[in-house]
Amino acid sequence: MDRKLPQFFFALSLIVLALMLGAVWQAASPTWKTYQQEFHRLEAAGEPNAAAKSDVLNADLVIKQDLLPGLQRVDRCTTCHLGTEDPTMKNAAQPFTFHANLGPHVPAKFGCTVCHGGQGLATDKQNAHGMVPFWQEPLLPKDYIRASCGLCHKEGEVPGVPELTEGRRLFETQGCRGCHKLNGVGGTIGPDLTEEGAIRRFPEWLEKHFLDPNTVSRNSPMPNFHFTKAQARALTFYMLSLTSQQMGSYYSSVRLIPSAGYGRQLFVEKNCIACHSIGGVGAKGGPDLLGLAKQHSSGWLDEQLVNPQTIYPGSIMPAYDLDTNSRKAILIFMASATAEDAQAILSQRTKALTPRDAAIEAGKQSFARFGCVGCHGLELQGGVPNPNSQGGEVPSLLHASDDYTEEEVIKIIQNGKVPPVENAKGPAAPLYMPSWKTVLTDEDIHRIADYLWSLQKKKEGW
Amino acid sequence: MKRRSIVSWGSAGLVALCSGIGVSLAAVLRFLTPSVFYEPPQDFKIGSPADFSYGPPTFLSDEKIFVFRDREKGIAVASGVCTHLGCTVAYFQSDEEFHCPCHGSVFSADGKVVHGPAPRPLEWFEVTLARDGQLRVDKDHIVPASYRLMV
Amino acid sequence: MNPIRDAWQSVFRRDPLSTDKGKSELVFLNVWLHIHPAKVKKENLKVKHTFYLGFITFFLFIILVTTGVALMFYYRPHPPQAYQDMKDLQFVVYLGNFLRNMHRWSAHGMVICVFLHMCRVFYTGSYKRPRQFNWVIGVVLFLLTLGLSFTGYLLPWDQLAFWAITVGTNIGSYAPLVGGRIRELLLGGHTVGEAALLRFYVLHVAVLPVVVTLLTMVHFWRVRKDGGLSRPVWKLKEEKSAQLVTIGAPEPVAVMAAAPASKDKTYGLMEVVTGKPIFETVGVEEEEDTVFSYPYAFFREGIALLVTVASVMAVSLFWKAPLEEMANPAKTPNPAKAPWYFLGLQELVSHSAFLGGVVVPGLIVLVLLAIPYIDPNPSRRPADRKWAIRAFTLFVVVNIVLIVIGTMFRGPGWALVPPWVHIVGAE
Repeated sequence: MDRKLPQFFFALSLIVLALMLGAVWQAASPTWKTYQQEFHRLEAAGEPNAAAKSDVLNADLVIKQDLLPGLQRVDRCTTCHLGTEDPTMKNAAQPFTFHANLGPHVPAKFGCTVCHGGQGLATDKQNAHGMVPFWQEPLLPKDYIRASCGLCHKEGEVPGVPELTEGRRLFETQGCRGCHKLNGVGGTIGPDLTEEGAIRRFPEWLEKHFLDPNTVSRNSPMPNFHFTKAQARALTFYMLSLTSQQMGSYYSSVRLIPSAGYGRQLFVEKNCIACHSIGGVGAKGGPDLLGLAKQHSSGWLDEQLVNPQTIYPGSIMPAYDLDTNSRKAILIFMASATAEDAQAILSQRTKALTPRDAAIEAGKQSFARFGCVGCHGLELQGGVPNPNSQGGEVPSLLHASDDYTEEEVIKIIQNGKVPPVENAKGPAAPLYMPSWKTVLTDEDIHRIADYLWSLQKKKEGW
Repeated sequence: MKRRSIVSWGSAGLVALCSGIGVSLAAVLRFLTPSVFYEPPQDFKIGSPADFSYGPPTFLSDEKIFVFRDREKGIAVASGVCTHLGCTVAYFQSDEEFHCPCHGSVFSADGKVVHGPAPRPLEWFEVTLARDGQLRVDKDHIVPASYRLMV
Repeated sequence: MNPIRDAWQSVFRRDPLSTDKGKSELVFLNVWLHIHPAKVKKENLKVKHTFYLGFITFFLFIILVTTGVALMFYYRPHPPQAYQDMKDLQFVVYLGNFLRNMHRWSAHGMVICVFLHMCRVFYTGSYKRPRQFNWVIGVVLFLLTLGLSFTGYLLPWDQLAFWAITVGTNIGSYAPLVGGRIRELLLGGHTVGEAALLRFYVLHVAVLPVVVTLLTMVHFWRVRKDGGLSRPVWKLKEEKSAQLVTIGAPEPVAVMAAAPASKDKTYGLMEVVTGKPIFETVGVEEEEDTVFSYPYAFFREGIALLVTVASVMAVSLFWKAPLEEMANPAKTPNPAKAPWYFLGLQELVSHSAFLGGVVVPGLIVLVLLAIPYIDPNPSRRPADRKWAIRAFTLFVVVNIVLIVIGTMFRGPGWALVPPWVHIVGAE
C-alpha cells in the first residue's frame, strides 16, 4: 500500500485538476454567449464590407444589463434579446426580433420585465423567463402583456387597453370591496388585493378564479358571480395591474396618459362649466373656451391653468392644483370639445334634490363603492350561500325594518355582526358582517341607512 | 521505492501542480473581475442627431459629456471630466474653451491643454449611429480629437 | 558560492528529503507542519480505525473558509440586496454558482463528518484519560459547527432561510430564564429582520470562525500532547500494551518497572526535569513500528484532502444548492422547517416545547460533555465496553430517526405524511 501511495496521490490530484477544469469550463460557457455569437453573425451578414464584418464578429461577449433603481429592478434580457431596438431585425427569429412600438418605453429606462414579467436577474432562458419554481412573476402570455400598462398608468384610460377600464369598473360595481381590501378600503373576508399585481402574476389562474372560484381555490367562500369570459378577462387585467409599489420620480411624473376622456372627467370634477361655456353653452362668468383653444398656444393655456393671475391679474379663476399631465389632459379635451359636450355636462349635474334625496343617493353610491353589494346584492336581495349560518345564506335587507330600527341597523354597520350558527357543533359560518366604523364616517353610515330605508318593502297587510 | 520512479512521478506531479496553480490563479482573477456593473452604463444612447443644436455643445450632466454638432463636420462627443483630478469642466462659448473650476486648467475646443496642471487633453468618445437612428456613445472607446460622425 | 542556490536555501533551510534528517526537518522546522511528530506509529495511520474523519472535518472547514471568503466579495448582508446577490452569484459571477454550491455542500458535509468523528472517538474509547478534556473541546467544536451552519443558513434571505431561522430561534427561546434574552441578542429585535441578518453575518464570517480556529488549535495540540492520534491499543500484543505509560493507569509502578526511564524518549525537552512523563511515550522497543511522517502520514493526509475536495467539487458541479423565493414575513410556508440538523429537535418540540426544546437538548449536551468523567471503565477494548457502546448507538439511532421523521414524514400542518404521498395544493 505504501508503495502505491504517491501514485494514488498523483492520480487523485489529476482527478481534482480535471474537476477544476470542469468547473472552469462550466463557468466559461454559459448559453448567452452562444446567442450573442449567433447575433453577431446575423449582424455581420448585414455589414457592407469585410472590415466591418470582422469588427462585429470579434466584438466582446458581455452580459448586458439595464440598471433600473427607480423600478427597483435589474434586467439582463438584452443579453440575448439583442435586436430589440434594431429595426433591421424585424424579420429575425427570436430572441433577436425587433420590438416594434416601444415608444418611450425603451429598455434603458424601463427594462423589460416590468411589462413582460420574467426574472430579469437571470441569464439563461428558462430562469430568465421565470418558468422555474419559486419565481412568482413568469413571462406573461402575449395577450396579457397589455395588463402591465396598469402598473404605472393608474388614472384615466390607457389607450389600447379597454380591459383595464372595464376591470376597474366591474371591481367597483360588483361589490368586490365587500370582502377584499384595496388600498386600505374594503372587507377582510378575502385577501387584501392591494399588491395582487405584484405577488401573483398568473393570468390563467386569475381567469379561472373569476369564472368559478372553487375550481382553483378549494372551499373558497367567494361566490360564483357568473362573469362572462370577457368580464373575467377584464378583471384579470385589472388584478395584474394592482400594486402600490413606489416608483422613482421619473416614472411617477410621466405615468398619467393625458387623454380627452380624462380631461373631460377633470373638467366635470373641477366644475369648469360653472363659469365657462363651450360654443355658447354654459355660464358667462369667464371666456368661452371654444374660441380660446383656437387663439392661443398650448403653452399659454397651460400657464393659465397653473396660475391665472399671471395672465389676467385680478382674475377670479382659482389656481387649481393640477399636475402636468392632468393639465395636458384638460387641454386635449378643450381642443376637441363642442357645444354638445357642454350640454351633456350640464344635464348630468345633480338635479335640485332634497337633503334626504341627496343622502339616499350618496348612501347608494357608498353601498356600491364599499362592496356591500358583494354579499347583500345589487337589489338588496341577499342569497349568497353562508353554510352553517341560520338560514344558510346572507339575508335579504329588503325586510330589515321588520326586525330592526334604523338606529339598530346603524349600530350593526358600525360594529359588525357574526351570524348565529345553525349547528353549534359545526364550524363557524365563513361570511360575517365586518365592522365599518374605522372605514366609514358616521355620516356615511347614516346615509347608507337612509338608502336602505328608502327601499324597505312594507309588511304585507294582515 | 526505486529512486528513478520517484523522480519521474515527482516531475509529472510538479507539472500537474504548476498547471493546477496556474488555472487556480487565473480563475481567481476572473472571479474577482466584475461581470456586471452597478453604475450608469458606459455604453448608452443620447437621442437622435436632431435633438442637438449646432453651435455651442450640449452638456449632458448625468453622463458628463459635451455633444458637438457641426453642419459640415458632423457629431463629436467630448468628456466633461478634467484629466487633472476629475472635476467637471464648463464650456465658455466666448473663448471656445473648456475651463476647470478646481485648479484652473483650460482646454481648447478640440480638448488640447492650453493652460493649467492638466497632464493630458480631454478625451473624445466614440459616437456611432445605432440602427434605430439614435446616437450611441461608448465611453470605453476613446477616439482621436479629429473623429467625427457624419449624419 | 552560487547565489541562486543560496537564495533558495535561505528560504528552504532543511536537508534534502532523501535523508532521514531532511525528513525530520521537514516537520519540525516547518511552521505549518510542526504539529505533527517527525515519526508516527504505523497504527496511527490505520484508515479503518479513524477513517480520517477528523482530518476530513478540518479540510472541509478549510474549504468553507476559502469559498466563504470568495463569496464575501459579492454578498451584501442587507435585505433585499442579499437575495439579489444570491441571484447574481448564480447567474452573473464567474464560478459564482460553483463556489456557492461548494460552500453549501461542504457545510452539510462538515456537520455530518464532525458528528461521525464524535461517534468514532466514542466507539474507540479515545476520550478516556488523559484525553478527557480534549473530548470536551471536541463537543464544543461540534456545537460551534452547528452554530456556524445555523448562522450561515439565514444569509441567502429566501423563504427557506427566513422561516428556518424563525423556527430555530423560537425553539431556542424556550430555554428557561435566558432563552428570551438570547433570542433578542441573536435577532437584534423581536423578529427576524435586517438586524438579525447583520448579526448572523458577523457571527458567521468573523466571530464563530475565529473561535473555531482557536479551539481547533487547542484540539490538535492536545492530540499531540495526549500521545498522538488514536490507535487500536487493544490490538497490540499484551507485553507491548503493558509498556505504555499513562498517568493514572492502574498499577503504574509495575508498568514503570518494565520500561527503564533512561531508555524512554522525550521530545524536545531542553531541561532535565524529574518526575514521570506526563504523556504517552514510546518505548525504544517500539521504534521499529514507527515511520517517518514524510511520506507515510503526509501522503495519506494528502489523499484524504484530495478525496474530500474531489467529492465536494463533483457534487457541486451537478447538484445546485437550493434558493427559494425571497423571504416574505407575511407568508409562512406550510410546513416551516428548521435546518435538517435541528429537525430532530423540532420533532420533539412539536410534542412538548419545554421537554423537547429545553430539557432533552440540554441533557444531551450536558451528558455528552460529561461522558469522559462519568465513564469509570478504563478499558478501550470494545468487548469490555458493551453497554457504553449500546447506549451511544441508541442515542445516534434515535437522533437519526427523529431527523428522518422531521425531514421526510412531516407535511403541511406538521401532519404525518409519508414522502411518497403528494399533497395537492399545498404551498
